[in-house]
Amino acid sequence: MANGTHRKLRLHVMRYNPRVPGDAPRLQTYELEEADGMTLFIALTEIREKQDPSLQFDFVCRAGICGSCAMVIDGRPGLACRTLTKNLGEEITLAPLPFFELIGDLSVNTGKWMRAMSERLEAWVHMRAGELDLTRIEERMDPALAERIYELDRCIECGCCVAACGTARMREDFVGAVGLNKIARFRLDPRDARTDADYYEVVGDDAGVFGCMSLLACHDVCPKNLPLATQIAFVRRKMAREGLG
Amino acid sequence: MPLAKRQFDAVVVGAGGAGLRAALQLSEAGLRTAVVTKVFPTRSHTVAAQGGVGAALGNMGADRWEWHMYDTVKGSDWLGDQDAIEYLARKAPEVVIELEHFGMPFDRNEDGTIYQRPFGGHMQNMGAGPAVQRSCCAADRTGHAMLHTLYQRNVRAGTQFFVEWMALDLVLGADGRVLGVTALEMETGDVAVLQARATLFATGGAGRIFAATTNAFINTGDGLGMAARAGFPLEDMEFWQFHPTGVAGAGVLITEGVRGEGGYLLNKGGERFMERYAPNAKDLASRDVVSRAMATEIKEGRGCGPDGDYVLLKLDHLGVEKIEKRLPGIREIAKKFANVDPVKDPIPVVPTVHYQMGGIPTNYLGEVVVPGKGGPNTVVPGFYAAGECACASVHGANRLGTNSLTDLLVFGKAAGETMVRFLEENPGHPELPADAADRTLARIARLEGPGGGESVHEVGRELRRTMQAHAGVFRFPDLLAEGVKRVKEIAERAEHLAIADKSRVFNTARVEALELQNLVEVARATMVSAEARKESRGAHDRSDFHERDDANWLKHTLWYREGDRLAYKPVNLKPLTVESIAPKARVY
Ligand SMILES: Cc1cc2nc3c(=O)[nH]c(=O)nc-3n(C[C@H](O)[C@H](O)[C@H](O)COP(=O)(O)OP(=O)(O)OC[C@H]3O[C@@H](n4cnc5c(N)ncnc54)[C@H](O)[C@@H]3O)c2cc1C
Repeated sequence: MANGTHRKLRLHVMRYNPRVPGDAPRLQTYELEEADGMTLFIALTEIREKQDPSLQFDFVCRAGICGSCAMVIDGRPGLACRTLTKNLGEEITLAPLPFFELIGDLSVNTGKWMRAMSERLEAWVHMRAGELDLTRIEERMDPALAERIYELDRCIECGCCVAACGTARMREDFVGAVGLNKIARFRLDPRDARTDADYYEVVGDDAGVFGCMSLLACHDVCPKNLPLATQIAFVRRKMAREGLG
Repeated sequence: MPLAKRQFDAVVVGAGGAGLRAALQLSEAGLRTAVVTKVFPTRSHTVAAQGGVGAALGNMGADRWEWHMYDTVKGSDWLGDQDAIEYLARKAPEVVIELEHFGMPFDRNEDGTIYQRPFGGHMQNMGAGPAVQRSCCAADRTGHAMLHTLYQRNVRAGTQFFVEWMALDLVLGADGRVLGVTALEMETGDVAVLQARATLFATGGAGRIFAATTNAFINTGDGLGMAARAGFPLEDMEFWQFHPTGVAGAGVLITEGVRGEGGYLLNKGGERFMERYAPNAKDLASRDVVSRAMATEIKEGRGCGPDGDYVLLKLDHLGVEKIEKRLPGIREIAKKFANVDPVKDPIPVVPTVHYQMGGIPTNYLGEVVVPGKGGPNTVVPGFYAAGECACASVHGANRLGTNSLTDLLVFGKAAGETMVRFLEENPGHPELPADAADRTLARIARLEGPGGGESVHEVGRELRRTMQAHAGVFRFPDLLAEGVKRVKEIAERAEHLAIADKSRVFNTARVEALELQNLVEVARATMVSAEARKESRGAHDRSDFHERDDANWLKHTLWYREGDRLAYKPVNLKPLTVESIAPKARVY
């Protein structure tokens, strides 16, 4: 594993704290020596510990499952904890995800946006009335269907797809691939009592599925490799039919 | 510093599995509830749980909650309280089915029921065996699926979250009733008093006291620190679980589900060494047993790699298809963090700190209980705890895999229900004392004052190094004694932290300093309790007292911050309705 000499990395980090009066966006450069198996998360932590305690960025699980650490890495949204520096050049540029409210430096408020999206799409299983009967065994479900639902449920709400989205840049209220993927997920779920007419109510407009311009950058950047292109196309077809219907 | 006051019926600190399950109970009862959390709810550490949630559904063959109860008592090395364990095992199927109704994307069997996989220490027939399939899972991302499902349900219920707020201290009334917390709004740097008629701690674990841990950065034991500073004891803090399979060097977890699905461990000679240590259960013995076996192999020169400091977890024989279907996240993690594709090559693993069995003492209803007028388990009015920060105690000296997620659901719900009842019976806010926030404000002022000089990162590093060296898988009397001394020195240094960045808004340095002060309390509790326990039980293994000693040590430790005082209370061996399970030798 060890490889003798290590590279010197130069991280150019976008710094800006909107809450500090007079602060302006700027790139700040930090130098550090690469280590074996170094991820951007390790690099940034080392910078904060040894060079600059004021640098802001978010991490929780460091295993690519909590969705906190998305940022723009050399121009492309991705998860910092799963990005190995050895796959990058010696000059690395880091910026916060665009579109989301900036908290400071590399930290953005994806949570606030995700909650609003969840509320708007009512992103939970709408049980049929009176169905919560805990004396009963669980709802039966075909394993293949369960697996398809699980596949879509893997979304970690990191915000990469929204940050990469052309429509989101123009329409603040666009629900993004993350939202449309949720609709696809609940549509599949037999436990959800909603019909296509109900879904049309929430995504049958330009802030929803008809806003997508099919540039599909979302699909390319998704750190979880969710099949976003197919899912969006599918939901759109269903909603278009519902709209005509 | 401006001091705002806000009033709620209930405050829940923590939005992981336990906090969200409790909050749901409160919100759906129409109570004004504030859920305070350092990170957005779905970023909480529960999201990282992989292997599954334990419940005797019996979908894969015969199973009964009594067997689950037996396994948990045995797993705990008889230190668990049998009333709480009965409650856990009995309620587990209900909370899992409920979660299924909420939309949890479980894996399924051909007949449409929830798929369950084997996990260490879970057996049929009151421990007699063979292994039982009890772990309900969503592939190897069960925690993620569970946390998102609970969050969605809370959005539906309109739960109010205070995100990026850090609770700092408990607020106590003159009569000892808990009246809420002080909290820091990270965005503005302001401190507020969140007044509540009932307060629940669900702040998770504190694995960050160790250098190598599977825990997230935010797992700093804040709930424990707050309770300790308010004068409440912490229970059984000497018991820390080392998970056998952390990725060597990276600390990231590889679920026990890998062994559940048929993977096994190998030493340098390619030997499946667990056959020697646990002839029956082999690689699915309890975690403390497997971790000790691995540490022994490494110590005796049978470790792998250039430095002989890890063993290998082999799973390629499961085949690509099974790995992709049941363990896709593990393949992803192994590739990223261990640089191996487990479809072809084994994963280098070492025992890694994973779970805190001890915590804030509670009963099975989620009420915090301390020695007092009503005996060793006197209820503290208005104060509740659930999840990893609480000690009910169901895990005793060693937790079984899948029992933490069960714990979050069962005791999160129980605590919520108990709080709803308490709030009905106790309307009206008692008056806040005038000095409600004084302790907190003094602590912050000290960080910013001139008396400091100690670096947060240096003190933190020293703490983690000390715990790693002095309270590991195997414990030695001299190292324990030395560890107590060092941790006390570190605690002293932590009184004089200085932060370079003094800005008000989103000051990470300040948050890290406040977290470190909590870690220090947890570390002190751990070292002092461990040094005092002169026996080996579950995860606590001493070189000078090799055996479990029920005559002298079948009791819970209670550590008080003031003067590092220790007290003990009896283990409850009496279940709620069934026969007691008497202590006996624990072999797998
Ligand atoms: C990698 C990994 C895999 C695991 N897999 C399994 C498994 O398969 N099965 C199983 O049963 N168990 C598993 N466990 C254990 C289990 O996941 C945890 O014990 C459990 O999720 C803890 O949940 P919790 O709700 O108590 O706390 P957490 O999920 O850790 O949540 C704590 C919450 O408290 C908040 N908080 C903390 N301090 C403060 C403060 N001062 N102010 C405000 N908010 C605060 C945080 O923001 C967070 O919301 C695993 C653990 C790890 C690390």
